[in-house]
Amino acid sequence: MHKSPTYDQTPEATAPLSQTWQSPPGFVSWFTHVNQRQIGYRFVVTSLIFFALAGVLALIMRLQLIAPENTLLGADFYNQLFTMHGTTMMFFFAVPAMEGLGIYLVPLMIGTRDMSFPRLNAFGYYVYLIAGVSLFVALFLGMAPAAGWFSYVPLANIAFSPGKGMDFWTSMITFIEISALAAAVELIVTILKQRAPGMTLNRMPLFVWSILVMSFMILFAMPTVMAGSVLLALDRAFDMQFFVASGGGDPLLWQHLFWFFGHPEVYIIMVPALGIISTVIATFTRKPVFGYTALVLALVATGFVSFGLWVHHMFTTGLPHLGLSFFTAAGAMIAIPSGVQVFCWIASLWGTRIRFATPMLFVLGFFAIFIIGGLTGVMVASIPFDTQVHDSYFVVAHLHYVLIGGAVFPFFAGLYYWYPKMTGRLMSERLGKWSFALIFIGTNLTFFPMHQLGLEGMPRRIYTYLEGMGWGDLNFAITLAAFVLAAGFLLTLINAVISRTRGAEAGDNPWQADTLEWAATSPPQNYNFRHLPVVNSRHPLWDEADLTRRQYVKGLRADRRELLVTTLLEAQPQSVLIMPGPSIWPFLLALVVGFGFLGFMFQPLLFVVGFALSFFAITGWLWPRKPWISTKEN
Amino acid sequence: MSMSEVTEPQFSVDATQLSRFHGGTDAPIWWGIVGLILIEMSVVAAFVISYFYLVMVNPTWPPEGQPASELLWPTVSMVLLLVSCVTMYLAGKSVNRDRVTAFVIYTWASVALATVVLVIRWLQFQTFDFSWNDHVYGSLVWTISGFHFLHVVSAATGTSVVALLGMKKFFNSKQRIGVVVDTLYWNFVALAWIPFYLILYWAPRMTQTAGG
Ligand code: HEM
Repeated sequence: MHKSPTYDQTPEATAPLSQTWQSPPGFVSWFTHVNQRQIGYRFVVTSLIFFALAGVLALIMRLQLIAPENTLLGADFYNQLFTMHGTTMMFFFAVPAMEGLGIYLVPLMIGTRDMSFPRLNAFGYYVYLIAGVSLFVALFLGMAPAAGWFSYVPLANIAFSPGKGMDFWTSMITFIEISALAAAVELIVTILKQRAPGMTLNRMPLFVWSILVMSFMILFAMPTVMAGSVLLALDRAFDMQFFVASGGGDPLLWQHLFWFFGHPEVYIIMVPALGIISTVIATFTRKPVFGYTALVLALVATGFVSFGLWVHHMFTTGLPHLGLSFFTAAGAMIAIPSGVQVFCWIASLWGTRIRFATPMLFVLGFFAIFIIGGLTGVMVASIPFDTQVHDSYFVVAHLHYVLIGGAVFPFFAGLYYWYPKMTGRLMSERLGKWSFALIFIGTNLTFFPMHQLGLEGMPRRIYTYLEGMGWGDLNFAITLAAFVLAAGFLLTLINAVISRTRGAEAGDNPWQADTLEWAATSPPQNYNFRHLPVVNSRHPLWDEADLTRRQYVKGLRADRRELLVTTLLEAQPQSVLIMPGPSIWPFLLALVVGFGFLGFMFQPLLFVVGFALSFFAITGWLWPRKPWISTKEN
Repeated sequence: MSMSEVTEPQFSVDATQLSRFHGGTDAPIWWGIVGLILIEMSVVAAFVISYFYLVMVNPTWPPEGQPASELLWPTVSMVLLLVSCVTMYLAGKSVNRDRVTAFVIYTWASVALATVVLVIRWLQFQTFDFSWNDHVYGSLVWTISGFHFLHVVSAATGTSVVALLGMKKFFNSKQRIGVVVDTLYWNFVALAWIPFYLILYWAPRMTQTAGG
C-alpha cells in the first residue's frame, strides 16, 4: 500500500506531484495555464489595472470640472469618460476583482488543489481581458459609448446614439457577462463539491460563504442584463423594436431589465466584501467572529432581498402607487441583515485587543465610509427626497460612498491581508498606513462636498457649469482632493510592486489566522497542499495548532491531477476527480468568440463565422482524454 | 510550519478505493450543467416576462391585422420534443445496462426527432408574414424562435457527438457521465419549448379574444 509516492515525505518525492500540477513556463505556455492560482492572480492584477485606468479617467473629468466654463474637454468626450469610468469600475474592476480573490482563495480555504473546471476558468479570464481591452481601444479611437453606465434607452437607441460606441457597449457587456457567469458556476460547484472532508457547510469560512452567495446572485442577476443587452444589440443591428416606442416597444422595459441586475450588482460587489471584513476581524482580534450563524443568514438574506430593490432606481418614472410602497418596504428590509452584521462585528471587536495592521485599518475605514453611504441611502430611499435630488451630485456622492466604502476599502483590506499568501512577502506596513490615511482623507474630502453641490442643484453628468451658479469653489476643492485620493491609491500600487521583491519573508501564516489557506506555503506550491487536509472544526489552524493532531487524506495519485469530491452538506468523501491539464484551447475559444462579438458590430454575418469557428475550438477543448483507460486502475 | 514539514501525518481518509468514475450528482460536471441550465432558465424567464410586459403596454396584441399563428405544427414540434426526452431516457437506461447498441440507436433516434423539429421550424419561419422590424411583436417572435432554434441545433450537435462516441464503444455502465449530462441539457432544451410554445402560440389567442 505505501508504495505510492503520495505518502513519501522526502523532497524528491514531492517532485512528481509538483511536476503534475505545474504550469509550464515560457511565453507561449502562458496562454495554456489553467491552475486556479494563476487565473485568480491574473484576475486580481488585471482588475487593478482597470481600476487604475478608470481612476485616471475620473481625474481627467475632475480636471475639466475644476473651474466653471472650463474648455479642457467637450461635452461628447466628457460623456464618453463618465460612461467608461462607470462601466469600467462596475464591470471590469469591482466584480472581477472579487471573483479573482474568490478564484485564488476559495480552493485554498476549502482545502483542494484546483477548481472544478480549470479550463473554463482560463476561458473566463481571456473573455474578460478581451472585453476590457476592446472597450479601451474604442475609447482611444474616439468610439467609446457615451450613454452612461446603464445605457438608458431611448438615448442608447440607434436613432439617438448612431455611432459604434453603443455597439461596443452592448457587445462587450454581453461578453463580460459570459466571464462572470463562468466564474460563478465554477465557484459554486467548487464550493459545494470539493470541500475538504469534514468541512460541513456549518464549518465553512465566512469568506467562502460570501463568495457562494455572490456567485448565486450573479447566476440569477446577470442573465437578465445579458438578455437585455442582446435585445438592445438586436434593436440596433436589425432595427428590431424592443425599446422603440413607435414599434410597440417600451424604453422602460430596458430599465426594468437593467436594474433587476443593476441593484443586485451593488450587492454582488458588497457581499464578498462583507466576507473579507469578517475574516480580517477574526484574525486581528485573534478570536472567532461573534455570531457565525447570524452572519451567514444575513449574507443569504442580503442576497435575496437585493433582488426586490431594483425598482428603487425608477422611483421617478411613475409606477403605480402600491408597487412603490412595496419597493420602499424592500428598501427598508435590507436594513435588517445589514444591522445584524454590524451588531455581530461590534460584538466581535468589543473588549478585544485589536492589532491595528493595515488590513484592519481598511476595515475600520470601511465602517466609517459605509455608514455615511448608508445614511444617504436611507435618504434617497424615501421617495419625496429622491425626487428632489434625483440626478444631482447628491447621488454621485452617495454612490461613491457606498461603492468605495463597500467595495474598495474591503478589497484593499483583502489585498494587504492576502498579499503575503500570494507572493510570499509582506507589504510594507509604513507605506500601507500612509496609503490608508491618504485614501481615507481623500475619499471624504472628494465626495463629502458633493452632497452640498447636489443640494445646491448641480446636476450629475454635466461637462461644465456657469460661473454664476457659485459652484466653482467647491469644485476646485473637490478636484484637489481627488488627487490626494489618487496619491493614496498610488502608494499602495508602489507598495505592491516594491514588496514583491523587497518585502519581508512572510512565512506560512504571518497573521496567525485560522483558515486553511494559511496551512499552505506562501506562495503555495503547484499542488496547493502536500496532502489534502481533513477538517474537524470551524477554525482548523487554531483548534489544531498542535500539528500532530492534524489529519490528512491519502491515496490520491501523484502522477496525474487528482482531487477529492465530497458530499454537498456533510463533506463526506465521495469520489476522486481527474483534472485536465494545461491547454491552449480556452484561449483560442475566447479569441474566436471575441471575434464573433466584435465582428457582429461591423457585419452581423461575422457572428455566424465566430459561432462556426467556436465549434472547432470546443471540439479541441473537449477532445476525449481517457487517462483512466490507459492506466491499470483496477 | 508547513504541512510538508510534518513528519508523521495522520491519514484519516483513504482515497485509494474511491471511484474515479461518476454517474451523476457525484460529478462536478453534473452540477456545472445544472448551473448552466439555471442561467439559461433565467434568460428564458427574462424573455417570457418581457413578452408579458410588452403585451401589457400594447393596447392591441397581436398588432392590428395580425392573425394569431396556426397551432398545428408547433404542437407537432412539442410532441416530437417530448418523445425525444423519452428516447434520451431510454438511451440512458441502456447504457446503464451496458447495452451499447440499444444506446446508440436511442441516441440517434433522439437526434433524428430533433432534426425533424428543426426542419418544421425552418419551414415555419418561411411562413411568418411579418418581419422582425415591423413591430415589437415581430421582434419577439423572431428572437424567441431563433433562440430556441439555436439551442436545439446545439443540443442535437452535442448529442450526435455522444452517439458517435457511443459507436466507438466509449460509454458503458461505468463510464457514462457524458451521457448523463447530455441528457440533462437535452431535457432542458426540449422542455424550454413549453413556455415558448405557450407564449408564441397560445398567448396571442387569449389576448385577441380578451380584447374583443
Ligand atoms: C478613485 C476615485 C474616484 C473618483 C475621483 C471618481 C469620480 C467620478 C466622477 C467625476 C464621476 C462623474 C460624475 C458626473 O459627471 O456625473 C463619476 C461617476 C461614476 N463613478 Fe466614480 N470616481 C471614483 C471612484 C469610483 C469607484 C471606485 C467606483 C465603483 C466601484 C465608481 C463608480 C462610478 C459610477 C458608477 C459613476 C456613474 C457613471 C455614470 O454616470 O454613468 N467611481 N465618478
